[in-house]
Amino acid sequence: MNQTAKKPKKRLFGRKDKSDVYLSDRPPLSTAGIIGLIITYVLLISWAVVVIWPLFQMVKSAFNETQFQYITSGQRFEFGLKHFKALFEETNYLKWVWNTIWIALVTMGLTVLFVSFTGYAYSRFRFRGKKFSLMGLMLIQTIPTFVGITAYYAMHQIISGPVPFFTRQMMLVLIYAGGGIAGNTFILKNYMDSVSTDLDDAAKIDGCSYMQTYRLIIMPIVRPMLAIIALWSFMAPFTDVLLPTVLLTKNQDLTLAAGLRTLISDMRTLNQPAYAAGGLLIAVPIVVMFMLLQKQLIGGLASGSVKG
Amino acid sequence: MDVKLVDIGKKYEGRSEYTLRNINLEIKDKDFCVILGPSGCGKSTLLRMIAGLNSITEGDLYFGDRRMNTVPPKDRDIAMVFQSYALYPHMSVYDNLAFSLSMKKENPKIINERVLEAAKVLQIEDYLQSKPSEISGGQRQRVALGRAMVRKPKVFLMDEPLSNLDAKLREHMRVELVRLHHSLDTTSIYVTHDQTEAMTMASKIILLDDGIIQQDGPPEEFYNQPANLFVATFIGSPTMNLFAGKMKDGVFISNDGDIRITPTPEDAKVLLAYQDKDVTVGIRSERFISGGELGDTFNAYVEVVEMLGKEKLLYGKLPKGQNITISVPGHFEYRPGETHSFGYDVEAIHYFDSSTTNRIV
Ligand SMILES: Nc1ncnc2c1ncn2[C@@H]1O[C@H](COP(=O)(O)OP(=O)(O)OP(=O)(O)O)[C@@H](O)[C@H]1O
Ligand SMILES: [Mg+2]
Repeated sequence: MNQTAKKPKKRLFGRKDKSDVYLSDRPPLSTAGIIGLIITYVLLISWAVVVIWPLFQMVKSAFNETQFQYITSGQRFEFGLKHFKALFEETNYLKWVWNTIWIALVTMGLTVLFVSFTGYAYSRFRFRGKKFSLMGLMLIQTIPTFVGITAYYAMHQIISGPVPFFTRQMMLVLIYAGGGIAGNTFILKNYMDSVSTDLDDAAKIDGCSYMQTYRLIIMPIVRPMLAIIALWSFMAPFTDVLLPTVLLTKNQDLTLAAGLRTLISDMRTLNQPAYAAGGLLIAVPIVVMFMLLQKQLIGGLASGSVKG
Repeated sequence: MDVKLVDIGKKYEGRSEYTLRNINLEIKDKDFCVILGPSGCGKSTLLRMIAGLNSITEGDLYFGDRRMNTVPPKDRDIAMVFQSYALYPHMSVYDNLAFSLSMKKENPKIINERVLEAAKVLQIEDYLQSKPSEISGGQRQRVALGRAMVRKPKVFLMDEPLSNLDAKLREHMRVELVRLHHSLDTTSIYVTHDQTEAMTMASKIILLDDGIIQQDGPPEEFYNQPANLFVATFIGSPTMNLFAGKMKDGVFISNDGDIRITPTPEDAKVLLAYQDKDVTVGIRSERFISGGELGDTFNAYVEVVEMLGKEKLLYGKLPKGQNITISVPGHFEYRPGETHSFGYDVEAIHYFDSSTTNRIV
């Protein structure tokens, strides 16, 4: 009978007893530590509120049937998809989505392609003016893209003369892609520098040309960085308002960000809840792209060092 | 395949000095040639020139009768093992092994055969589907060897392939590599800074320093007839004992007077020309005679005794304070703090000209 009493209590959820050995590598918390922890949490939570509250308001008003042209707070909430319907039926929203997606995709493709070449060249080859031009690239990067706006008009006119199908949107792609090359080249070069050149030599002996060395050996290794560059350049057209607003004149040519802006800045088309609804939907293509690239983003260098 | 270097020199872009110059060398077919030298002397540079990874600034490189200076690496029929192994991290072991053959558009069946064959010889069959990051250093090293093996190269190049391994495994791989060399029937060129590796593996050693070849030949020659003081001290462990002195009346006397050596009659003949000139004498630690009574002897105070099992190393001092290292069989009784008398094996004494550092006899 005593035996049963001595039996250790059955653990709830198979968790270990409190008295078990302290396993954490960090020292146990002191009072000051606990206070510090509380302060940290308070700060983090208030920060989260600052970020989340507007988002929450946006989501709320996007689905609120009682909202009209202007978003007003304190309104009664009634769930409905009215604003989404308005977005699709009364605006060029689908056109904007399409514009943005193809612009983003082409920008992404061009950027990754160019940066691959420039990054590889800067990382692996010695040539005259290498240091100088790299510095130049970095300096150019500090000048915001939009200062060239008048030049873009001129450039577009010059190019569209002999090439009539060169639209303003294509110009925009070139600007986005070109603008991203400088900084991304620098980033990719530094990343590639950490890949041992022994791999290049081994590939060379194994019979690879420079192109093959890049495509078969180096590119797979720097894939995480390429994926990040791809994601960034894909996202840029989604967030930029200024260039498309200035460069593109017809409403149906606009990109998402610029198009949505007309819903809050133009009295004729003013529709704030639809703006919120449209803003919510922007996340969809970006999240999709993120999920597509997710596998490439992780792994890579982590999965292979050269040294023993 | 014979490998011949004629007056080869290398100057790197952006450097004012030649890294290597006037390298003349003939490596015979099926030789296991070890390029030895201290760090930074240009061993890797020489090997990479043979591989075609570095350009040859001057001189000619021949494989057999063919001048190879401008032939791209992939057409040189070589394989190379890198110090870092340089395995492709994103490919499985199998793909690493198969890569060079598939680049050559080799028949997949033959590729498969060769990969499996190499994997079997190197005992890495169980890891063929693993990534390089998932296997141990020793296994990686085998994969690197395997990658070279599957190509069945005419010339097998290795740049310090064992330096990342632990001592035990290195010892084991030394033997394996020599075995592999024989089974592949190739000419191997092997770079190392470790004289033990060179002495144990090579059929021919090339000792580089200061951008020139200090000596080349079979290992015994390096040990028994070092060409100059640099070779004498670089080869052999413990380092050869050196005593600077003069020849006086046919007898060598060290500068502090502690060491007196009467050369053998043959040596004496050659040394006649060095009467009253500065001469340095070298004696390997194992060529002293314990308890020497006959002929020339000297007394040494034993400071430290290192017991290595089959032998004991005595680190001692001569009366005037010069250090000396003597090795004696392990079962001899020597204790720190004692003073003993030793003699010389006069047959085994090396004489060097102090001014040129070159070997006299
Ligand atoms: N790419 C390069 N550009 C300029 N100088 C170089 C280059 N590679 C090597 N050197 C120089 O050439 C010399 C020889 O280098 P090398 O790599 O051949 O030495 P090593 O004998 O292989 O040394 P270790 O045993 O340390 O590998 C060194 O002084 C080095 O600084
Ligand atoms: Mg080296």
